[in-house]
Amino acid sequence: MIRFDNVSFHYGGERGTGEGVDNINLSINDGEFIVLCGSSGCGKTTLTRLINGLAPHFYPGELEGEVFINDINVSASELSETSKVVGSVFQNPKSQFFNIDTTGELVFGCENQGMSREEISERLIKTEKDMKLHALMGRNIFELSGGEKQQIACGSVYTTQPDVYVLDEPSSNLDRKAIHRLHEILRKIRESGKTVVISEHRLYYLMDLADRFIYLDDGIITATYTPDELEKLSDGELSKLGLRCTDLNKLEKNPDNADFGNGGIPVIEAIDLNCTRGGNQILDIERLRLPEHSVIAVIGDNGSGKSTMTEALCGVGTSDGSIAFKGRYLSDRQRADKSFMVMQDVNRQLFSDSVIEEVMLNASVEREKALEILDKLGLKGTEERHPSSLSGGQKQRVAIASALCAGKEIIFYDEPTSGLDRRGMERFGSLLHEMRNEITSVIITHDPELILRCCTHILHIEGGRVMGFYPLNTDGVQRVRGYFMSESDENTSKKRKKYGMFGRVLKYTGKWKKYVVFAVIFMVLGAICGALPYAGIYDLLTAFLNGNGLTLQSTLPDIALILGAGILYAVAYTTGLQFSHRAAYHTLENIRVSLQEKLDGQPLGNIHDMGIGTVKKLFNDDIESVELMLAHVIPEGFSNIFVGSLILLILIAVDWQMALCSVVVLLLGYAASRQMYDVGMDKMGYYFASSKRLNNSIIEYVSGMEVVRVFNRSNESGERFEDSVYKYRDFGLEWYKVCWPWMALYGSLFANITLYSLPLGGLLVILGHLTLSRYILALCLSYALGPLLIHTLALIGTLPRVNYKIQSIEKALDRPALKSGNEPFKGTDHSITFDKVRFAYKGDEVIKGISFTAKEGQMTALVGESGSGKSTIARLIAHYYDVDSGCIRLGGQDINEMPLETLGDQISYVSQELFLFNKSIMENIRIGKPDATDEEVREAARRAGCEDFILNFENGYDTMAGACGNKLSGGQKQRIAFARVLLKNAPVIVLDEATAFIDPENEKKMNDAIEEITRNKTVLIIAHKLSSIAKADKIIVLGKGRIVEQGTHSELIKECDEYRKLWNATEESNRWILKGGADS
Amino acid sequence: MDLTFYGEETKGLISVDPRTKVLIFITSSLVCVSSFSDLGIALYSVVLCILFALCGKPMTALKAGIALGVVLFVRAVMGSSQGAPELIVMILTLVTTSFMFAFPPIMSVLLIIKTTRISHFLSAFQAMHIPVKAIVPAAVFFRFLPTVTDEWNGIRKAMAFRGISLSPVQVITHPWRTIEYVLIPMLFSSISVMEELAAATMARGMDVDVRRSSYEKVKLRAADYLLIVLFIALFALSVIVGEMVKNGAFL
Repeated sequence: MIRFDNVSFHYGGERGTGEGVDNINLSINDGEFIVLCGSSGCGKTTLTRLINGLAPHFYPGELEGEVFINDINVSASELSETSKVVGSVFQNPKSQFFNIDTTGELVFGCENQGMSREEISERLIKTEKDMKLHALMGRNIFELSGGEKQQIACGSVYTTQPDVYVLDEPSSNLDRKAIHRLHEILRKIRESGKTVVISEHRLYYLMDLADRFIYLDDGIITATYTPDELEKLSDGELSKLGLRCTDLNKLEKNPDNADFGNGGIPVIEAIDLNCTRGGNQILDIERLRLPEHSVIAVIGDNGSGKSTMTEALCGVGTSDGSIAFKGRYLSDRQRADKSFMVMQDVNRQLFSDSVIEEVMLNASVEREKALEILDKLGLKGTEERHPSSLSGGQKQRVAIASALCAGKEIIFYDEPTSGLDRRGMERFGSLLHEMRNEITSVIITHDPELILRCCTHILHIEGGRVMGFYPLNTDGVQRVRGYFMSESDENTSKKRKKYGMFGRVLKYTGKWKKYVVFAVIFMVLGAICGALPYAGIYDLLTAFLNGNGLTLQSTLPDIALILGAGILYAVAYTTGLQFSHRAAYHTLENIRVSLQEKLDGQPLGNIHDMGIGTVKKLFNDDIESVELMLAHVIPEGFSNIFVGSLILLILIAVDWQMALCSVVVLLLGYAASRQMYDVGMDKMGYYFASSKRLNNSIIEYVSGMEVVRVFNRSNESGERFEDSVYKYRDFGLEWYKVCWPWMALYGSLFANITLYSLPLGGLLVILGHLTLSRYILALCLSYALGPLLIHTLALIGTLPRVNYKIQSIEKALDRPALKSGNEPFKGTDHSITFDKVRFAYKGDEVIKGISFTAKEGQMTALVGESGSGKSTIARLIAHYYDVDSGCIRLGGQDINEMPLETLGDQISYVSQELFLFNKSIMENIRIGKPDATDEEVREAARRAGCEDFILNFENGYDTMAGACGNKLSGGQKQRIAFARVLLKNAPVIVLDEATAFIDPENEKKMNDAIEEITRNKTVLIIAHKLSSIAKADKIIVLGKGRIVEQGTHSELIKECDEYRKLWNATEESNRWILKGGADS
Repeated sequence: MDLTFYGEETKGLISVDPRTKVLIFITSSLVCVSSFSDLGIALYSVVLCILFALCGKPMTALKAGIALGVVLFVRAVMGSSQGAPELIVMILTLVTTSFMFAFPPIMSVLLIIKTTRISHFLSAFQAMHIPVKAIVPAAVFFRFLPTVTDEWNGIRKAMAFRGISLSPVQVITHPWRTIEYVLIPMLFSSISVMEELAAATMARGMDVDVRRSSYEKVKLRAADYLLIVLFIALFALSVIVGEMVKNGAFL
C-alpha cells in the first residue's frame, strides 16, 4: 500500500524541472494499477519520483508530509532501501542503463541488493522466460531498438521482484509493436498482483489495464477517473483537460487538415535508393516522389530504415542512388545545404550561447528578419537566453527557426512529438500546417494523433522498402488507423551480423573455404617466385660490376635460380588458379542452392513481381560475378599485396631513402585510385539505374512487338528503346569520364616508380652513400613492384561492379519470407474466416479491412467489378501473400501457423492461369494426388467430364500436354484442372473464374463438373457470370476492396444496387450471346 | 577501425580477469616510461599482442602487430645507414619513437575496453574489497565511451545541416570556434544523459555504502597468475635490457 499524507514537494536544487506538487493525499492499494495523467509539467513525474524516493534524495527540494510504502517512510529512508520494494522504469531508453550488456543489466538490481549468485541466477531464468527475452540475452544494449531497450528495462525491474512498479512515460520512444509488447508485459505484472504506478501521455493502450486514472493539474490532484468514465469523455472534453485520445478507433482527422490535391511537382525524387551497412541491406527503394507543400508522415516499425532513408535523402547518410530536389539531381553536400533535420535529441544541434546567435549562425539573414521568425514561432523574448535554458518544446522550435532563417526547403523531423502532451503535440501540428506553404515537412513518427492532425501524406516503410505512399484522405485515414491498430507484436530487430564485401562472399564458400586458403598460399608462393629472378639478376650484376669475370661456372647458380623461379612461378600460379576456380564454382553452386531455398520460402506473389527476367539474371549473370571475386580478386589481390609489401620491406633494407621516395609515390598513387573509387561509386548508381532501364525497355520492346506491329506503332516504342540506349551510353561515358583522369594518374605513378627513385638513387651513389650494386638492386625491386600494383589495381577496379552484383543477389534474398509455422492442421471444421484483413499490393491497398465467413458445406460466391479484390482474396486463402493486418482462419486456426504443405492439403485452388506441365495428360491430372492409381485418375477425369475429349486424342491419356497444348482449349484445360481437384479431394475448394471459358457448347459439362467437385465442400467461388452463382448459399458483393453487402441472391437483388447493376450487366450480355447464336 | 566499445570475450580462448588486465595496464605504462630500448618494448609489445589475440580479438592484434613490425624494421634500417638528410631522419625518429612509446599503454587500455564487460569489471574489483566509490568512476567511463561516440555521430550530422565544416582548413584557421561547436552540444547532451543515468542507477539501488553481490563468478585462475608473473617479469626484463643497452651492451 502506498500512502501520501498531505505531501507537497518543490524542487530546490539545480536538478529537476517542473514546479512540483502540492497537498497530495492519495492511497494506492496493493495490486492496483494507477495511471497518472495530465499535461506536461503537471507533476506526474514528480509523483513517481516521490514514490521511488528520487525526490528528495536525488532531486533535492522542499518536502512537506510523508510518503509511505507499506511501513517504509520513503522520504526518510535510504534509496537503496526503497529500491527493494520499488522498481523504476524511465522514459529515455538511452540513459537508464548502467551496463552495456543486457545480461549484466538484468541482474544489476539484484546485485545491488546483495543477493546470492544462485538466487540471482534463478530469477534471471524466470525473467527470461516470463518476459520472453531469449533473443535479447547477452547483447550490446547500444545495438537494440528503443522498444527492446524498454523491454530490458522492464525485465531488469522484474528480476528484482519489487512490490511496486513505477514507470515514467515508458512508451514515449516506442513504435506500435513495442507498445503492444509493453502492454503485454504490464498485463503480466498486473496479473502477478503487483502494484503499478505509471505516468503517461498515451492513454489508449492502458485503458484495459488501469484501475484508476489520476488527473493532475498544476501539481494538484483535481480528478480521479475510472476507465469507463474516461472513455465516455468526448474528444472536446479530453482536449480541455489536455489529455490524449483514449481509443484509436475514435480518432478522427483534424477538420482543418484539408485533403491534399494530387497536383504539386515532386520536391524530392529518389531513384534506386540503396544502402547497405556492414553487408546488410538497409534500404531498397526503387522510386520515391514526395510532393511539394506537403506534410509527410514516415511510418514503419523500429529498425525498418526510416531514419536511414531520411538521412540519405537529406544528404548526411551514405547511400547509392540518385536524389533530386525540385527536379535537379544534387550531391550529398548540396542536399544537406538545402534541407534540415530536427533530431530527436535537440541538444545535439544547438551550438551557440544565445537563441539569436543560434538562429543566425551561418545564415545570411538580417537580425530583424530573424526576430520576426522567432516571433512567429512563439519564441519572442527568448532571443538573448541560452538555448539550454529553454524547455524541450522551445529548443525544438529554436532548431526549426534556424532552419527557416537559413532558407531551407525541406525540414525532416525525427519523432518530434515523443513525450509531448496533447497541447504540445497540437501546437506542433498547427505549426507544421501553417508552414506548409513555405516549406515541405517530412516527419518520422509513431504518433497517430499527430498524423491525423497535420499530415497530408503517409509514407510507409517496412524492411527498407516502400510499402505504400498515399494521401491522407478518407481511405488513407482508415488505412493508417488500420496500421496503428494491428495487433502484431513480433520482434523485427535481428542480431545483425556484419560482413564486409569479402566476408559476404566467403560465408557462402562453406567447406570449400580451405581451397580459397590454398589458392592464396600458392599464389603468394607464385608471386614470390615471380620476384626472385630479380635477386639472380642482382647477383650477376654485382659480380660483373666488381670486375669478376662472368664465367659459366660462376653464373650457373644464378641462371638456375632465374630459370627455377620461372618454372616454380608457373607451377604455383596454375595450381593456385586451379584451387581458386574449384572453390569459386562450388561456391556458385552453394549460392544458387541457397538462392533457390530462399525463393521457395518467399511469398509466391513476390516471385511473380520480380519477373522471369530478373530471376534468370540473378541465377545466371549476377552469381557469375562471384566467380571473378573468388577465383581472381581474393587470391591474386591478396598475394600481390603481400608480395608487394615484402618487396617494399626489402627495398627499405637496401636503401631506406629510396624506399621512402617510392612510398611517397605509392601513397600518391593510392590516393588517386581511392579518389577514382569514390567518384566511380558516386556515378555507379546512375550507371546501373540506366542499365536497368535499358534492360526493361528491351523486354518491353520485344514483348510488345506484336501489338506494335498490329497497330503500326513502331515509332513510339522504338523511340523509347532508342532513348534508353542513348541514356545508357551517356551514363557509361560519364562514368568513364570522371574515372579516367584518376586512372591515368595512378597508372603512370605506379608504372614509373623508377622515374622518381632513379635520379635520387643516382645522387646517393654520387655522394657515396650507396653502392652501385645496391642501387641497381633497388631499381630492380622498383621494376618488380610496378606490375604487381597495376595488376592489383585492375582487380580493385572491378570491385564496385562485383560488389553491386553481390548486393543485388543479397537484396533478392533478404526479402521477408512467408510467415508459416509448423503446426499441423487442427481446425474444428473447414470454414474460412477473414478477420479485418488488410492487404496492400505494390503500395496500393487492395483489401481494406474485410471480414466474412465461408461456412463448411456451403457455397460462398465473391462478385464485384474487376479490380474489386476478388482474386486477391482467393490468393490470400491459398497463402500466396501474407496479409498486412488482420488474420485468415481455416476452421478457427490461423493459416500462418501451418506450413504451406499442410495448408495445401486442405485447399484446392483453381486459378485463372492454368498451367500444364509438358508431361502426359495422365501425369498432369495425377499432380492432384501423386500416389493415385491410373484407374483413380481415369475416374476423376470421367467425373470432371474430360474423358471424352481425352480419348479423342491419338494417344489418349498418354498424349503429351505440351505437344497438344495448342489442341487443348481453355475449357478443356479448365476441366483437366477440375479433374486434379477431384483427385485431390481437399475439403476446401477455391475457384477463381472457373466459368471463364464457358461457351454454350460446353456450358452444361462445365456446370456438371463444378457441381461434382463442390459437393459437400467449403466452396469459395469467384465469377463474372452471375447466373452461375445465383444459387450460392451466400453472395458477397465487393467494391474497391470492401464488402458492400452480403446475402443470398434474392435478398441482394432486392436490396443491393451494386449487385443489381452487376446482375443486369451479365443478363444483358447473356442475351447478346444467345441472340448472336440464334442468328448464325 | 570499428568504434564499437562493447566488451565481449566470448570468442576468446582464455578469459582474463579484469584485475589482471588493469595490472597489465599499469606495467605497460611503467614499461614505456622506464625502458629506453627498442628491444625491451618490442618484446613486451609482442607478448601483449599475443594476449590480445588469445582474448578473442585476433584481427586487432594482427593489425597492431604488423604496424609494430614495420615501425621496428624502419627504425632498425634507419639506424644502420648514414648520411641521410637530418630533417627526414629527425621526423622519422620522432614519429617512430612516439609510436613505440604509446604502443603498450594504448594496447592495454584497448584490451580492457574491448574485452571486459562492466558487470565483470565491477564484480572483480568488489571481490578485492575495493570500495565501490573507487570503482564506479571507471565503470562509468566505460559506459560513456559508446555514448560519446553516439553523440559525436549525431553532432556531426547536425553540423552538416548548419554548414559548420570540420575540414582541416577550418579546424586550423578557427580552432577555438571548432572546439566550441563540438563541445557545447556534446556537453549539454552528455550532462542530461549523465543526470538521468545517475538517477536511474540510484533508483535501482546502487549505493556506495551497501555491499553488492555479483552474478559473475570472479576468481583469479592459474592463467591470471601466470600472466601477472609474466608481465611483471617482462617489465623487469625490458628495464634491465634498457639499462644494458644504455651501458653499451649489445654494441
